Amino acid sequence: MSIPGLHLTQIGRGDFLLDPSKSLNIRDSDRLIEDIAAHLLQARATRLYYDLSDLSLIDPLYYAWLDALARAVQAVNVTMICINMQPTAAFALSKFLKKMPSFQTALGIESWRE
Amino acid sequence: MAARKNLSEKVKALFELKISGIAAELEAPGLKFFCGDQRLMDPEEVADLSHEFESLIVSLLGSKDPSDMQSPEFHALESFFGGLSQRVLMRGGHVEDVVRYTQSLQLALIDVLQKVSGIPFSESRSVLLYFTGIFNELIMAVFRAYLEERENTLQAQQAELRETATPITEIWDGVLTLPIIGTLDSNRTMLVMEALLNRIAKDHARAVVMDLTGVKRIDSQVSHHLIQMVRAVQLMGSDAIVTGIHPEIARALVSLNIDFNNITTRASMSDGLKEAFCRMGITVSH
Repeated sequence: MSIPGLHLTQIGRGDFLLDPSKSLNIRDSDRLIEDIAAHLLQARATRLYYDLSDLSLIDPLYYAWLDALARAVQAVNVTMICINMQPTAAFALSKFLKKMPSFQTALGIESWRE
Repeated sequence: MAARKNLSEKVKALFELKISGIAAELEAPGLKFFCGDQRLMDPEEVADLSHEFESLIVSLLGSKDPSDMQSPEFHALESFFGGLSQRVLMRGGHVEDVVRYTQSLQLALIDVLQKVSGIPFSESRSVLLYFTGIFNELIMAVFRAYLEERENTLQAQQAELRETATPITEIWDGVLTLPIIGTLDSNRTMLVMEALLNRIAKDHARAVVMDLTGVKRIDSQVSHHLIQMVRAVQLMGSDAIVTGIHPEIARALVSLNIDFNNITTRASMSDGLKEAFCRMGITVSH
């Protein structure tokens, strides 16, 4: 599906992969969240994998975007799982995180366990 | 050439000297200090050393300003002595050997120059002062190289020690163990965290058992780093299981009001491994 700055691809029954590109503008998060949630709802999605492999750093602003997206998709009964988080990003994120995030994490799609 | 105007007659004669074939005469100090009981070099190597020194000293004395210690010719000579110092140290020699060699070489050089030119350089205060200045700087170069080499060795040993004190081992496909031994400080915790996270990414590790049996003390800052490390492991998508927490550390963590919710702990490393295997659906039978 074409949403500016990201690719949303169906990878299985109810499973979607969200692949952000460099042009993703998270300042426009409200519109992005609405578009993603609408598409997931329409496709009866149950899981959304967010691929972080191209992100070497997660700052508070980006974390706020991930958190907002995770909570929004949860509202439409979709579980968000962040995959392929880079060591540097995990390091940076763990430094300012006070509690566990609202999304789940996995090494990759294949290692996600039911 | 203004610098040469005030030169004494002997120094002027020294700088105008056409030197060649003195290398063989300069071998004695090398043979004495490097080919003795320690056998740091063989005579052929000392001969090569003398040839190299001859060519460098000829370049310096024939340069535009032989007293300029910033000249490329002087830097080449400094590098020669720096390299020599490193070479001797790596072979188990002492810096004292190189310093004594350098001092003897200075005297041998003045003798040889006197012999080949027929000019009594050893009776000239200005020539002696010139060589003393040059050779003092060269001895400094020897010490600098020696200290640098020692520093590198110490750093390498410390890095090795750090690595052996925190061995990250893949004990099963996707299961890493990290027994932490000794004192945990912030610096070390950061290094361990970096190594662990990179290893998780490389091995695609699904569970990490962090064993604290070997940690006797922990302060508040380190406790927070430890929690941070566990959180970072979880963020990467791995399970973190902390084992072997001493009662004193447990008490310290409670008094520091550290939240252990979402962190799996087990009494011993074997319990931690059982938990990791269980989560991965692996059954180990006797």
